[in-house]
Formats: sequence, structure tokens, C-alpha cells
Amino acid sequence: MEVSFMSYILLAIILFSMGIIGVISRKNIFIVYMSLELMLNSINLMLVTLSKHFGNMDGQIMAMMVIAIAAAEAAIFLSLIVALYKLKHSINIDDYNTLKQKGTL
Amino acid sequence: MHIGLLTFIIFLPLVMAFILMVLPISMKLTRNIAFLTTIVVFLLSLSIFLRFRLTDYMQFREFHPWISTYGIYYSLGVDGFSMIILMLITTLIPVGYLFLWKTRKSKGYWASMLLMQTGVTGALLSLDLILFYFFWESMLLPVFMIIGIYGSGNRIFSTLKITIYTIMGSLFMLVSILYLGVQFYNEFGVWSFQLSDLVQITIMSPTQQTLLFFGFIIAFAIKIPLFPFHTWLMQTYSNSPTGGVFILSSIMAKLGIYGIVRFVLPLFPHQYVEFAPYFMWLGVFGLIYFGVAALMQQNIKRMFAYSSASHLSLITAGIFSLNIYGMTGAAFLIAAHAMATGGLFLLVGTIEHDLGIRSISGLGGIAKKAPLLTVAFALMILSIVGLPGTNGFVSEFLIVLGLFKYNNFIGIVSATTVLVAASFMFWMFQRAILVKTDNNISKMKDLDKKEIIGIFGLAVVIIAMGLYPHWFLYKIEPTLQHYLVDILKVGVSS
Amino acid sequence: MSNYLLAWIVLIPFVSSVILGISYLYSIKVKKISNKFFTFLALLAPMSSFVLGVGFFFGLKNGVSEYLYEPYTWLGVDNYIINMGFLGDKLSIFMVLFITFIGSMIHIYAAGYMKEDEGYGKFFAYFNLFVASMLLLVLANSPLIMFIGWEGVGLCSYLLIGFYFSEPLNVVAGNKAFIANRVGDFGFLVGILFLFVYVGKLGFSYGALEEYVGIVPNHILVIIGVSLFIGAMGKSAQIPLYVWLPDAMAGPTPVSALIHAATMVTAGVYMVARFHFIYDLIPSVGVFIAYIGAFSALYAAIIAMRQTDIKKILAYSTISQLGYMFIAVGLGAYSSGLFHVFTHAFFKALLFMGAGAIIIALHHEQNIFKMGGLRKRLPLIYIVMLVANLAISGIPPFAGFFSKDEILLKAYEHQEYLIYGIGLFTAALTSYYMFRFFFVTFEGKNYISKNLEPISASMKIPLVILAIGATFSGFVGLPEVFGGTNMIHQWLSNWSVDSTHVENFKEIVLMGISVAAGLIGIAVAYVKFFKYDFNQDIKESGIIYNKFYIDELIDFLIIRRVRQISVFVSVVVDDGIIDKTVMLLSSGFINLGRRVGRMQSANTRAYAFFMLIGLSSFSLYLIFKLG
Repeated sequence: MEVSFMSYILLAIILFSMGIIGVISRKNIFIVYMSLELMLNSINLMLVTLSKHFGNMDGQIMAMMVIAIAAAEAAIFLSLIVALYKLKHSINIDDYNTLKQKGTL
Repeated sequence: MHIGLLTFIIFLPLVMAFILMVLPISMKLTRNIAFLTTIVVFLLSLSIFLRFRLTDYMQFREFHPWISTYGIYYSLGVDGFSMIILMLITTLIPVGYLFLWKTRKSKGYWASMLLMQTGVTGALLSLDLILFYFFWESMLLPVFMIIGIYGSGNRIFSTLKITIYTIMGSLFMLVSILYLGVQFYNEFGVWSFQLSDLVQITIMSPTQQTLLFFGFIIAFAIKIPLFPFHTWLMQTYSNSPTGGVFILSSIMAKLGIYGIVRFVLPLFPHQYVEFAPYFMWLGVFGLIYFGVAALMQQNIKRMFAYSSASHLSLITAGIFSLNIYGMTGAAFLIAAHAMATGGLFLLVGTIEHDLGIRSISGLGGIAKKAPLLTVAFALMILSIVGLPGTNGFVSEFLIVLGLFKYNNFIGIVSATTVLVAASFMFWMFQRAILVKTDNNISKMKDLDKKEIIGIFGLAVVIIAMGLYPHWFLYKIEPTLQHYLVDILKVGVSS
Repeated sequence: MSNYLLAWIVLIPFVSSVILGISYLYSIKVKKISNKFFTFLALLAPMSSFVLGVGFFFGLKNGVSEYLYEPYTWLGVDNYIINMGFLGDKLSIFMVLFITFIGSMIHIYAAGYMKEDEGYGKFFAYFNLFVASMLLLVLANSPLIMFIGWEGVGLCSYLLIGFYFSEPLNVVAGNKAFIANRVGDFGFLVGILFLFVYVGKLGFSYGALEEYVGIVPNHILVIIGVSLFIGAMGKSAQIPLYVWLPDAMAGPTPVSALIHAATMVTAGVYMVARFHFIYDLIPSVGVFIAYIGAFSALYAAIIAMRQTDIKKILAYSTISQLGYMFIAVGLGAYSSGLFHVFTHAFFKALLFMGAGAIIIALHHEQNIFKMGGLRKRLPLIYIVMLVANLAISGIPPFAGFFSKDEILLKAYEHQEYLIYGIGLFTAALTSYYMFRFFFVTFEGKNYISKNLEPISASMKIPLVILAIGATFSGFVGLPEVFGGTNMIHQWLSNWSVDSTHVENFKEIVLMGISVAAGLIGIAVAYVKFFKYDFNQDIKESGIIYNKFYIDELIDFLIIRRVRQISVFVSVVVDDGIIDKTVMLLSSGFINLGRRVGRMQSANTRAYAFFMLIGLSSFSLYLIFKLG
């Protein structure tokens, strides 16, 4: 059975929305990170779909690049989380509020 | 690539400032080298003065592409009007150094002074509006540091106030400059911010022109300062160290006037003529308003701030008088006032250095302890009050004559200038310098050799300019005639 | 005489002053310079100028019409060109002669008077600067150059009044003089400017002005005349700007003699005479000037009657005598006015120098009621003061008689009988208050028993010379009715107006009347004061003694108001309104910033939410706009 073009797009949108909701509503840094990855991958999915649909390889190349960069980024992100954890012994994102506006100018 | 004399004048101090900051040398050596630099710059500008030809067009032109995509050029030049200010700046700064000599400041202070010099000479000589804006803003930075680091009293607040106030004004100017550039592009299809190009724009409506005119005027009015944009001045002057107040009063304020003549006048000649009466009245009003306010001030620097504002208002009235007398007088008063007021601030600086900061009633009896200082102080005051025989008189006379030419009534009102400054200056002189009081002034020392050379050199120029003004004036005249006849089209003596 | 020597008349004292000033500073800062050096240089300058002046005098006498020297263009803007020019015509050389002569005398006197003063060098530096400025004033070829001298003398007056500047009162008096003069200068400047605007293009030397003054409309000419006269009011201490002159007596006595009696205060009279071509065209302003002069004469004489300070009496008498001069020049009798300037310089300088000698002798006592019986103890001073008093009282054959009488005669001839009456009455008052001072000082019992300070020879010699001058200087203007020729009128023939002369008999009668007025004044003074009892406590009071409370009135009406306005402007308007507005604007921005800053809650999830909203609205906009 041929899966329609629209369903891929729909899946990508659902994944993206889940990612956004995850970023906005969760406090745990890992979950926020995973939601970000989810969003990236939903974009990848969309790129590949569109590439297939229009018969143009640009989208797939772009998706490969995103995957490569996401891998590099994951390494940095995880090490940053470790560093942050060492700083405050917490992975709750609300604890990191040093830049908060305080007092007067 | 050809590098001209003007580039040397502008960038020598900057280069020296960087070298001095990087090299691990002592404060004293820094100071000495900085002083030598200013002397070299003075000699360079003297050679410009002597080789200046008696015509009205720009001389010593330099023209190099800078950001060619948007038609921004590194474009320099000097005409009669800017030449007299250039001479003034390059003469006054070494004199200032002689007085600041004994202040034990750090290397950064002297580097800031050099940076400031680059800023002011750059703003003075640039003919490209973007380049001008660049220098115009960059001269604030060293002042920010000098006052913020070495000032007294509520210095941080004063620094913020002057910086934000002037930058705020400059933003209006920047917007106007960009707007002009866009209009030029719309009309001619190429980008340019050259003054000589922008004056050719014809597609703007009078309303647009008027708005842009005020955009420029606000920036300059804040710098001068004109009523009612003056309140930063009093606070800044009273909190700033001698060097800072010296630069602000005798150099930067004059650049505000210069900006009006250099840019506003050719860019918006119709508006200039149209609004001239209002500015004449504003100037004369400021003259009296600030003069009256100065009378009861307790802080000498604050009094001089008002006094400066009073004279600068008169200068503004002069440049808007639309005839050669008022404009010549204004140009001459720029020089005269810068010398006298600069000298006064330096002398007050030595008093502060010896006695600490005091109000007028805390001084007194200085004349007996420091006769040379008193003589110099008196000479500067005489120039400020416009005593004939000093340059102050010649310039005030010409301005008042110019206003008279325009309208008898405003002329009579502006002639009160002979009274205004005299009333508070002499009273202050009596209380702060002459009369003996119970205040302890035993720490007061007379001028040392360097200061004597500096201040009496200035005094000789002041008197020479008073006794033979023609020699100093005739080189400005063709330029001003050009402004009046070719640009404003009002004739030499309307 | 070569023309360029004219400049040297001014330059010699000027250069001498600069050298004196520098060497004085050198002397106090580095190494002491002996007073002899200062004396030599100081005396040399006015005397050299005098010699040059005499040379020019003979040149003019032998038929040269005028000397003119214009070394350079002082100021040239567009077609307004003013040359630095020196004009030696009969009027200016006349002024030069008496200024340098009296000046030299007072310099000699001051060398004795100031000899123990630590500011000796400074004093003569100022003195020479004064002489230079005064000479520039009279020799200038255009009103603007004259203004340089005009303000220069004002400056020297300020410096010399406040010579002992450690005392507040002296400096205050100096300031008062300077400011009052500046009020006058304001008028003078306005006058010059009007003149300049209307005729300046055609040249601004006196010659050019005289030629083209006709093109100025008459009502403008009236403004010019009045404005210039306001300048004269300031400089020559006429109502209402006279207030500074009595206070100016705070300066050392030679200063009072030279500046505030003999020379500077007559600058106003000279100025009116110099601008005679204007005042000739506007006789109504002339009459106004004459009335101001007459009232000043009367007013000052009234105040002088009750003063106790010897120098104050002389100061008021100076105002009074200047009033006479303005009567003359106002009525167009310029040469008569200048004649009185000339004789007045002799006897007034003599009076001041005599008073200075008394003050020195009595260890700086200035209250006349603490003197007395000085006739036997200071016989020379007694004689010269008697001469001077007779001269000022207008008793023939002393100098004052001829000149003052001529002025009264002119008033009569012009049928200004009110002015004549005031002048005559003032003459009586003058002799009364002068002899009041004279009798109280020299007659009566000896009030001070202390030893007198000896008076040096350098003070005595000029006294004698001037006494001779005060006796005989009137004869140069011997009225024609006595068979003489009035040399002053001949010399200043351009400045003397031939009006209708009264017949000889009437002239003699009028002379008799004015001499009688003088004698009556003396008689009254004799009766009241010749045998004055010094033991009774003398306390002058009342409205006249307090100078009609004018100083207090000015203080209350003007000075305090100006100060209040000043405080109002700087505190209320500037700090209260303008700066408040500026700061309100800036605090508005600060508040706005604070509010916007609240969005920066450091809540990462909120940031993400904002981003979502921002991006989606932007995308929606793009979709609807483009799609």
C-alpha cells in the first residue's frame, strides 16, 4: 500500500509539535534536549519527504548534514550538561537563572 | 597611495596613543612623548595655516575610498573657517598639557587625551558625513573615560548624563544623514555621503528638509549647548577634572558651532535662512539667561559653565545673523572664547590642585600668594568680558554689529553682552581671588615655569588678536563670503 | 614733526607700563629691583609724551592743519574698514598737552606719596597704562579706536581703585566703578553701532563721519546722540551714573587726582566735543545734555555741603564741575567747556594733591572735623589750597573764574535762564562747601596734637607748579571784554560757535553777579566755620549727608532684584524645570527598561514559548502576505 505524501508531512508536524511541547513544558534538561533532537529529526523527515516528492537531491543532502551536525552537537551538549551538573548538582533547568533581571539598573 | 598632511594631523595622536599604551614605559615618559606629539601636530597645522591660500574652496583635499559599496569615502579638506578652528585646537592642546603636567595621572589619561585629539581634529576635517559621524562619536569616548575615571563628585552620573544626552542627539543626526544618503541614491542612482554630493539633492519636499534640518540642529544644539539643552553642561563641568572640562569647554563646544556652519548651512540653506531669526533670538536670550544664572553660582566651574553657555549662545546668534559681520565675529569669538575660557579653566585647575575643590566663598586672598596666577586670571577675564584691546571685544563687536544689521532692536539687546559677563566675572574675581579672607590658603603656589610659558603665550595671542585683528581675520573672509553669497544667497550684508 | 611720532605719544607710556609691570613681577618673584628704576621709567614716559606733544603743538601753530598717522588696518570686514589711526588735530593735541603735563606732575607727586608702598612698581605700571590709554582715547582717529582707550582708562581706574585689593571695600568700589562705566559703555557702543550701520561703509574716521553724517536720518541721529551721551554719563559721572565716583576715592590719592579729577572723567566732555558734528545737528539733545549737566552740578554741590570726608567733598565737587562742562558742550560752546576742562584740571589736581598731603601728614586721617588749625603747621599746603579754593570758587583772577564765568555767560546767551540760574546758585554753593572744608581744616583750634608726618619734596614741587597754573591758567582764555584775546577760542576755533554776544556792559554785570555769588558762599562759610568749636561732637546726618539714599535705593531696586532673578533662574528654572524635564524623560526610559526587563525571567521554558509565538506569528504573516 502506497503511503501518501501528506501522511509523511503530518507525521513530521506531529513530531515537531511534540518536540516543541517538550521544550516548553519539561524541566529536565535531558528531556528538553531529547525534544530538541525530536524537532531536528522531524525537520529531517520533512526534508527527505520533500526531496522525494520533487525528485531533487538537495533535501536529502541537507538532511545528511543536519544529522552530522546533530551528532557533533550532541557531544557538546552532553558535555555541557555534565559541566552544569558539576556546577549546581541539578539538571532542573529552572535552577539556572543567573541572568535574571534583579533589582534596579 | 597618497597620504596628506591632514591625515598626519588626525592620526598621529591616535598612533602615538596606541604605541604609548603598549610600550612598558612610565607615566612621565608617556606624558612627555604625548606632549611632543601635540607639538608636532601644532607645527603641522601651522604649516597649513601659512600655506593656506586666500580662496573660498576646500584645500589640502584627501580622497580615498573607504566603504565604496555605499559610497563612503575617507574625504578630508580644510577651508578658512575650519582652518581657524584647527589652529585653535592644535594651539590650545599643548597649552593644556603644560597645565596638566603636574597632575599625577596614569598613562591612560594621556592616551585618552591623544585619542580625544584625533576625534576632534577628525570631526573638524572630514567632508564625508559618515566619516564625520564616526569621528564625532569617537571623540566622546575619551571624554567619557577622562571624566568617569578622573573626575570628582558624582562623576559616574555626570558621565552617563553627558554621554547619553549627546549620543541621543547624535542619533537624530545619524538618521538624517542616512536619509539624505538614501535620497541621493533615489535621485542619482549611486550611493554617496559626500557633503559636496548631498547638497545637490533636489527631490526633497520642504517638510522633509525642515525635519532633517532639525535632526542635525538637535545634535549640534546639545553639544554647544543651546537653551534648553544645556543642563548636562553645568553638572559635567563641575564634576569633571581640569583636562576634561578644558576640552569640553574650549574645543568640543566649538565643534557644535562648526557643525552647524559646515553641514547644516550648505545642506539646508532655505531652512537656515528661514529659521535664522528664531536662532538669533534664542542666542540672545541664552546670552542673557545664562549670564543672569551665572551671577549667584557658588562653584567656580559651574559659574564658568554658565558663562561659556552665555558666550556660545552669542556665537550662535552670530552665525545665524546672515551677514559677514556676524559670521566673522562668530568665527573670531570661537577662537577668542576658547582661549580665554580654556585659560580660565586651566587656572582654576591649578587652584583646585593646590587647595582642593572649594566654593567661591571658600577661596580668597589668592592674589597675594600667587600674583602671576592673578595677572593671568585677570587677563583671561578681561577677554571674556570683551575689553577693547583683547580679542573678546573685536568678536563681540562684530557679532553685535551683525545683529544690528539684521535688526536694530536685537542689536541693542545683544549689546548688553558688555554688561552681562562683567557683572559676574568681576564679582567672582573679587571674592575668589582678590579679597583676603580667613580661609586657609597656605598651600596655594604660584604658577611654575611651564604654566607661565603656556598661559602667557596664550595671553600674548589674546592681546595680539585684539590689537591687530585684521591679520587673523582676513583669511576667513572669502570662505564666509562664499557661504553667504553662493550658498545662502543672501548677499554679504543683508 | 613726522606723523608717525603721534603713535609714539601713546606707545611710550604703554611700553613703559609693560616694562614696569614685568619688572614689578620680577621684583616680587625673583629679585628686588630698586624703586629708583621704577621712578625713572615711570616719570620718563609722560614727560617724553609731553615733549612730543609740545612738538606737535608748535607744528599746528605754524600752520599744519592736522597730523594723521594710520599704520595698519585694524579691522576690515567686507567694506567696513577701520584703520588703527592717530589724529593730531588742535583738539587732541590740546588734550594731550594738559594730560601729559598734569600727568607728569602727578607722577612726580606720586613718587613721593607712594614711596613706602610695597606695590610701588605696580602702581606706576598702572599709572603709565592709564596715561597711554587716555592718550589713545584723545588721539584716536575713529570712534572704535577711541573706545579702546575709553575702556582702557576704565580698566586702569578699576585697577587703581582696588589697588589695595585685600580690603573688600576697595575692590567693591572698583567693581562699582567698572560696572557703572560699563552701563555707560553699553550706551556708547549702541551709539557707535548705529553710526557704523548708517555711515560705516563710507569710512569710520572722524573726518569721514563728519563728511557723511548728513545721510543719517534725524531720529536715528537723536538716538546716536543720546546713546553716546550715556557713555559720557558713565565716564564723566553725571546723573544718574555718577554713583561710582565718590566710592572711587578708595584708591590712593594720586589716583583720585589724576584719574578721578583731572583727566579720565573729562573724557566724556572730550567725546561730546569730538562728536560736535553730530550734536550740532541735534540741538535738542544738546539742551538735554546741558540740563543733565546743570542738575548734576546742583545735586552734587548739595551733597558736598554735608560731607565730612575730605576726598568725598572733592569727589562731589568734581561731579559738580563736570556738570558745568556739560552745560557748555551741551549748548554747543565746546571751546568754553574745554577751557573749563583745562583750568579744572589744574585746580582740581591741586586740591586732591593738597588733600593727599594733608592725609599723609595726619597719618591717614580723612575726616575734616578731626583736622583743624593746620594753617600754621602746614603753611605751604595752606597757601596752595587757598589758591585752589579761590580758583574753584570763581574769584578773579584765579583760573576758575574765567572758565566758569564763560560757561554761565554762554547759558545766558543761549537764553537758557534756568540753566543759568542753577549754575549761578551752584557757584554759590561751591564756594560755600569748599570754604567750609577749608576753614574747618586750616583754621580753628588744633585738633590733632600728634606729630605730623613730613611731606617730601617730590610732593611739594608739583603742588607749587600747579598752584601757579591754577592762578594764571585762566589768562589764556581772557575774555575779550577785558581787552584780551581768548587764546583757547582761537586755538579751538573749529569747536567754538559764534553765537550772539551780549553787549560788554551786560557781560561785566553778569561777571559781577557770579563773583558776588562766590563771595556770598565764602562769607556764609566764614561765619559758620571760621571759628568752629571742635570740642563739640560733630555728627552729620540727614538725607543730604546720606546722599539722598541713592546707593541704598540702587542696591534695593536693582542689585538685590538681579540676584533674586539669578537664583530663580538657576535654581527654579534650570534645576527645577528644565533639568527635571530632562531627567523625567530619562527616568521614563529607565522605567520602561525595567518593565521590559521583567520578561527576562531566566525561565528557559518561557523563553522557548516566546520564541514559538514570535516565530509562528512571523511565519503566519509571511504566509498571508506572500501566499
